[in-house]
Amino acid sequence: MELSVKGICKSFGAGNVLDGVDFSIRGGEICALLGENGAGKTTLMNIIGGILPADAGEIRIDGRLVSFPTPAASRQAGIAFIHQELNLVNDLTVYENMFLPAFPHKGPFLDRRLMIDKTRSLFERLGLDVDPCATVDTLDASYKQTVEIAKALMEDASVIIMDEPTASLTAAEIERVFGMMEKLKQRGIAMIFISHKLDEVMRICDRYTVLRNGTLVKSGPVSEVTPRQLASYMVGRDVSLTKQHTPAACGDEVLRLEHLSDGTHFRDVSLSVRAGEVLGVTGLLGDGHSELFGSVFGIWGSRYTGRILMDGREIRPASPAEAVACGLAYLPKNRKENAVIPDMSIVDNGTSVTLTAYRKGPFFDKNAQGTVFAGQVDDLKIKMSDRDHLITTLSGGNQQKVMLSRWLIAGPKVLILDNPTQGVDVGAKEEIYTIIETLASSGIAVIVLSAEAQEIIRVCDRSLVMYHGELVGEVRGETMNEQSMMYLAAGGSKSRPAAQGGTADKENGGTLT
Amino acid sequence: MNQPEKAPKRPALTEKLRGLYDRLFRRGPGLTATLLALLLMIVLQCVVIGINEGSFAGLFPKLWRSWMNILRNNAYTGIIALGMCFVIVSGGIDLSVGSMTCAIGAALMYLLDPAAGLLAAVGISGVPAYLIAILAAILIGFAFGELNGVLITYGKIPPFIVTLGTMKIFRSVTQQLTKHFNPEIPAGFKQFASAKIGGQVILPILYWILIVVVMYLLFTRTAFGKQVVAVGSNERAARYSGMNVNAVKRRVYAISGVMCAVAAVIYVARIGSMDFANAGSGYEMESIAAVVVGGTAMSGGKGSLVGAFLGMLIIGVMNNVLNMLGVPTFLCDAVRGAIIIVAVLVQRRDKAGD
Repeated sequence: MELSVKGICKSFGAGNVLDGVDFSIRGGEICALLGENGAGKTTLMNIIGGILPADAGEIRIDGRLVSFPTPAASRQAGIAFIHQELNLVNDLTVYENMFLPAFPHKGPFLDRRLMIDKTRSLFERLGLDVDPCATVDTLDASYKQTVEIAKALMEDASVIIMDEPTASLTAAEIERVFGMMEKLKQRGIAMIFISHKLDEVMRICDRYTVLRNGTLVKSGPVSEVTPRQLASYMVGRDVSLTKQHTPAACGDEVLRLEHLSDGTHFRDVSLSVRAGEVLGVTGLLGDGHSELFGSVFGIWGSRYTGRILMDGREIRPASPAEAVACGLAYLPKNRKENAVIPDMSIVDNGTSVTLTAYRKGPFFDKNAQGTVFAGQVDDLKIKMSDRDHLITTLSGGNQQKVMLSRWLIAGPKVLILDNPTQGVDVGAKEEIYTIIETLASSGIAVIVLSAEAQEIIRVCDRSLVMYHGELVGEVRGETMNEQSMMYLAAGGSKSRPAAQGGTADKENGGTLT
Repeated sequence: MNQPEKAPKRPALTEKLRGLYDRLFRRGPGLTATLLALLLMIVLQCVVIGINEGSFAGLFPKLWRSWMNILRNNAYTGIIALGMCFVIVSGGIDLSVGSMTCAIGAALMYLLDPAAGLLAAVGISGVPAYLIAILAAILIGFAFGELNGVLITYGKIPPFIVTLGTMKIFRSVTQQLTKHFNPEIPAGFKQFASAKIGGQVILPILYWILIVVVMYLLFTRTAFGKQVVAVGSNERAARYSGMNVNAVKRRVYAISGVMCAVAAVIYVARIGSMDFANAGSGYEMESIAAVVVGGTAMSGGKGSLVGAFLGMLIIGVMNNVLNMLGVPTFLCDAVRGAIIIVAVLVQRRDKAGD
């Protein structure tokens, strides 16, 4: 079986997401689909999976023209799409999930025997060691992933699309998924492997296709490229960006982490940040940088080993409230879920950290609150008509500034910003970068967590890179460019330590100099 | 014509009233619909009274008497509804209020009984005894509420389950302990609620209004009130803002417990006795209904104490009208249920049109 698409175009509103993309894959082949966030990978796969209609272009199976108006049509043609957030129902058993949504019946009842037997025999053929009667809930992430792949086979899929199947897996779990993929390859199944992790691509894939800004940049056999080349295809530049950011003079060390581990998301992380410094911590999504600093802020209690030192004294915040008292501030990612209080006004949102500080006798002092907030409105250039309106009436950029203001009012020593420009338009992005630089120059230690290399380059003095929960390197000055960061973040230093001119040294954590 | 110079003058009375109206009824969830519903009920009430009396002259004295009754009879649930409003705005629910009121009432009687009471046994009587008993009742209410709060926050059990459980526990333990207990309430203590002022028993009404004011200030004019809204609106954002979410929740249930204690004190002082099997049962549903009719969202974050007060009045007037109309007792609940649903439906519409 051969699946090929030609000249696929798709636009949302004014922007072209895909512009005449060609792609093909044959049975028994694993093809990597690479590209930065927003390059159009997921859109292309959504079109093949029948989730989105293409504006132009054709899809052929074995040379025959087909169209997929619905996901069901695509599945009928033998294409299975395994989404990043798995589609298994946690509270059902494995065998039930295997047959969802079309259960076989025997009279009015489900034919349990048949489902269990079929599942078991498929699992045996695949060498998959999972009890069909187990509840999905009890499986760990890699088994869920393999069950989902098996489910695709149960539906007789000949092409399986996997959207970042290893994003949330540990190294051992990844091996399990890879083992399964090798078996499928021998059975003549075609697999499209979407991933950011270049070492994985080098290991498992036969061919690669790189998309950038909705166009095909390069494709070919994996054996003919190096991870470095792949990284530069993805970024589209060989030269590093001229940095607009000039590192300011730093003061004394403020925050220091020593051998911090939580057992799952991050391992043995040590770092330090100084007053007035903007430290970037980057890595692909799910590589542990959010979890690391969430833990430092006490979000999950003090369930970690290692030490956190603030101004040389050990702290161990067990809740955000304790972390705030220590002088930490934390702007979480996913503003809507984690930061915005939708039923409160702009001013209440902007002062939510310090609400108990405004009082006149037993009562809340609205005037004091307003005065303090007004200062932030000026400093951060928050645009609004009335601070008593609901926060939800503001644009994303202004909302984010209000979220920032709640922390700045508290006067923190260390400000942790997780994905600070998420859901913020381009103009406001630049304003936020300027704010970050101003804050650093006022003596606050700022830590910026971001998966966007350009963002790190724009605001940070130096940046640490995480891969699978470990710090794998540090970039600063000359080496702070997208390529080297992408290389480290994709585990490049781990896959071919010797091939890159000895720049990646395991002893010092692969620092690029 | 020459316009007179614009002079900085004091805001006109109409503007002041408008400001007050905005503050009380338009902030948070709009209460315009609730106010209209109340007015509608009152108009209906006037019509029914007018028809019953057969003359316009008889309308006002009858209306006055009706309202006195409505306010008096709903003071207990009205006060409980204020605590319930805090709980619901924080994103929770308290089903134990009825049983809690009953249990606190029983405790109060144990303390006060002139023959077998605890305070009489240690030789305290008269006003000091009454004050000690009231203080004790409030402390017990606080402790019961804290118990709910601790189970909910540290036990990480959903509020519905915890308070459903404590609702059963409070009631059953109270019944067991009071099996052979026929308390008597000292006449002096009854004066706390039953003393006539201007020929009317209005103390329960005054307490209710006083507590409405206190709770309103607590809700709108303190940092705590804002924290309750934050916790109910987005608990995670509240936590990440460094708020002690567990402490806020515990306090909210403690307030609910204290409100039950106040209601129990007024109940015992006014009625002078308590049927431990039934006293307070149904208070939870009645107070939740008042809160919801008053425009507070069950999902938390949005709420109004003035609304809870108005909601209670609406339910009170409604009961009064049903009574006057002679609707068969069994059908009354159907009408009540329907009106609660309609009230919320109207508010939905009102909000969608915003």
